[in-house]
Amino acid sequence: MTRASIAVVFAGSGGSGAMTAGAVFLRAAAHAGYYGMMTQLFGAQVRGGESASLVQVSIAPIETQPDCYDLFVALDWDKVEQFAAEIPLDDRSIILADPASGPVPPGIAKSKGRVVALAMNNPDENKLERALRGKRINMFAAGCVCALTGIAESDVKAAIDTIFDGKGADLIAANAAGAALGARAAPALPLDLRLEPPRKAARWLINGNQAVAFGALRGGVRFVGCYPITPATDLVEWLAPHLIKLGGRLVLGEDELASVNMTLGASYGGTPAMTVTSGPGFSLMIETLGLAVAAEIPFVLVDVMRAGPSTGIASKTEQSDINLAVYGGHGDAPRIVLAPVSVADCVNTGEYAVYVAESLQTPVIVLSDQALGQATTVIDPSAQRPAPLARRVNGVAPGKPFKRYATGGDPVTPMPLPGTPHLEWVAEGLTHNEAGLPASGAAMHVAQIDKRAKKFSQFDPGDHWGEVWGEGDVAIIAIGSTIGPAREAANRLAAGGQKVRVIALRVLSPLPLAALTRALDGVRRIIVVEQNHGAQLYHYLLGHKAIPLSAESVARPGPAPFRPSEIASHVA
Amino acid sequence: MTDTIVAATEQPHCVFDAKDFSSGAHPVWCPGCGDYGVLAALERALARQGRPPHEVVLVSGIGCSSRLPGYMSTYGFHGVHGRALPVATGLKLTRPDLEVIAVGGDGDGYSIGGNHFIHACRRNVDMLYLVMDNRVYGMTKGQPSPTTEADWDSDIAPGGIGLRPFNPLAVAIASGANYVARGFSGDPNGLADLIVDAIRWPGFAFIEVLSPCVTFRPEQREWKKMVRPSAISVEQDRAAATALVLADDGFSMGVLYRGDRASIAPALKPEITVADVEREFMVAV
Ligand SMILES: Cc1ncc(C[n+]2csc(CCOP(=O)(O)OP(=O)(O)O)c2C)c(N)n1
Ligand code: SF4
Ligand SMILES: [Mg+2]
Repeated sequence: MTRASIAVVFAGSGGSGAMTAGAVFLRAAAHAGYYGMMTQLFGAQVRGGESASLVQVSIAPIETQPDCYDLFVALDWDKVEQFAAEIPLDDRSIILADPASGPVPPGIAKSKGRVVALAMNNPDENKLERALRGKRINMFAAGCVCALTGIAESDVKAAIDTIFDGKGADLIAANAAGAALGARAAPALPLDLRLEPPRKAARWLINGNQAVAFGALRGGVRFVGCYPITPATDLVEWLAPHLIKLGGRLVLGEDELASVNMTLGASYGGTPAMTVTSGPGFSLMIETLGLAVAAEIPFVLVDVMRAGPSTGIASKTEQSDINLAVYGGHGDAPRIVLAPVSVADCVNTGEYAVYVAESLQTPVIVLSDQALGQATTVIDPSAQRPAPLARRVNGVAPGKPFKRYATGGDPVTPMPLPGTPHLEWVAEGLTHNEAGLPASGAAMHVAQIDKRAKKFSQFDPGDHWGEVWGEGDVAIIAIGSTIGPAREAANRLAAGGQKVRVIALRVLSPLPLAALTRALDGVRRIIVVEQNHGAQLYHYLLGHKAIPLSAESVARPGPAPFRPSEIASHVA
Repeated sequence: MTDTIVAATEQPHCVFDAKDFSSGAHPVWCPGCGDYGVLAALERALARQGRPPHEVVLVSGIGCSSRLPGYMSTYGFHGVHGRALPVATGLKLTRPDLEVIAVGGDGDGYSIGGNHFIHACRRNVDMLYLVMDNRVYGMTKGQPSPTTEADWDSDIAPGGIGLRPFNPLAVAIASGANYVARGFSGDPNGLADLIVDAIRWPGFAFIEVLSPCVTFRPEQREWKKMVRPSAISVEQDRAAATALVLADDGFSMGVLYRGDRASIAPALKPEITVADVEREFMVAV
């Protein structure tokens, strides 16, 4: 019997190549026409320690971690047990391991999963040969799993060619040989893990961080100021070479204060600009965020959320920067906050963020999270793009002095680029008059706050406000990486006869109250699901009277991902 | 990055008068404040430099001195406290066609913005940074700054702060600035000469300007008697120049160091398109 999807773990000690095994399986599956998603777990060691790659492959798009893994492949057992809590297994799981690696450790064995023996190490091989073969065990395992699931060797070869591109023909051939050996071992195993044939189409293999970065490039970002911080670093590392080749600039600041201010400087000069960070860096940027609001300088700030407060857990996910994104800073400082609703949507939300920032001359925060950012996913190519919006640099009313911050009319006032004759203006963070000169009178203070507020009250995101899936009189409201498991929970409940709709907010601030109210039409019960302890989203929605006091809150900290069963049990 | 001098800045192409660079706004500064002299010097220097006001951007942080951009007819960016240099860096790197000048005070540049000062010198982006040093936080009404004398008495630090003053020139030279000079607000013509020279010199140029705060440091009125032209000849040797500015009493005026470090390379011409980037994600079936 074939299956629609499979969830596989490759785990092993440092140097075992568990990550590469997962990458080969995922890419081979993509070549074969399947959807998929891969996430990773690392031990405490900074580099090169034990690790696990968690790969799901399916005939349908995947947006959530599974409740349980079907197959656990142990490349060895060294320190692998520490991942037990993060890799749910049960008695239907299969544990594929080489008996030569020793017994299944108790933390894994307690799942009662069926242990299937597979000789991955060649006992006839001497120590030197094994050393030379190096990580090939991982290729053996990947090849075997591909064969078990019905993925053709040609697709495995295509994946290996790409993954080891530039590493030399010898290495590619050796890895392909390892995978072929694994494939040959598959038929003898007492397992049937074949997948249903997929609907074949060319797809994208991309992670959420790349997707946000790519969206920003599409939107026109050509300057990035940044400072390394997990889990946002890989975003800028991917971006750097691409941005340079596109004629743009990526500057590594001396800290986040520098990076965000460089970003503003570039934007003032007319280049769409972005900074990328995570919680600790975002906290440092807050003063300048207020400057961008007051001086009306556009820029995009990507926050790939991680577990906080303080340094928290650098590599693991949480949705606990909602308050900081929506409210962070002193004074009345409205800003746009967007949250991508899936890995695929990171592309569009990244692009849209640039357009909104530029057209409203205001900061736009993109709240991603580690679980989206570092999930490598097979998605349908992003074809439907947001309509471009540009900065208003022309159309200055005649008369002297030039009133950069004119009030009373359209709140989005022309922002001439430096270099334009006769329209010199000063970007001003002090309360200023219409010409941009510092002013401390009450009337001008109120007038300028009103001007900026009006940009937000006029902002109409249209269909970008959010997404609604399903119907029914029970609604789950979620953002970011929590949406995937919520949708899967709703699907399961629907299969059991309970209709649940899932409402995802893409625009968090300003809250799209009218659209959300429409989406909640006919709903009797509302459950707000979010990954932080303080129920930040829930209180935000309550504060805006977007949900009634009877709405329920399911809020718990990360880093453990919400799994569909957890959400379903809250709803049912 | 190669260690050669990049092309010098453009030659004058218009004729301007100092008043063409004045916005006409009335400064908030106290009568007698040194910053008036700096404003006059900048206006004269830019007129002499010959680029029109719209091709110049003055970037500043917060402080009395940081108010300067509002008093000039150029483009300006009055940001938050201490962050003028990163703003100017982002601007100059993306708009090399503009004349970018960062200005501010000793508090803005050496305490809250001290880290940016070091790294702006290292980055050596082609721009001018002019600090109006009055050895006090003027705007917040008289607290000791990093350049304040150890024994200067104030409400917040009775009897003196007790710390060795920071030497911005030594730090700038050691950190890689390509042009380092000291000027005096009481000599607007001499300062204007320095500014023109600094603007034309490639790379990151830093001018520390002694600019008295007559309100909180009235004794600084005496500076006009203390300043003198530097006996140091223009130094090309960083170690020697650092040693000289460390030994100096702080009143030697003029160019103290000029180097030939190459400025940061310009951005490349686009080699690929966004469509090329998109193709990298594609997995064929
Ligand atoms: C983040 C922040 N902290 C403190 C202040 C208060 N503040 C304004 S100006 C200033 C010091 C300015 O000193 P300096 O740069 O030497 O300028 P001066 O007024 O002496 O020209 C301080 C501490 C501020 N505006 N922002
Ligand atoms: S307080 Fe000092 S620095 Fe500020 S304007 Fe007055 S004299 Fe100048
Ligand atoms: Mg000062």
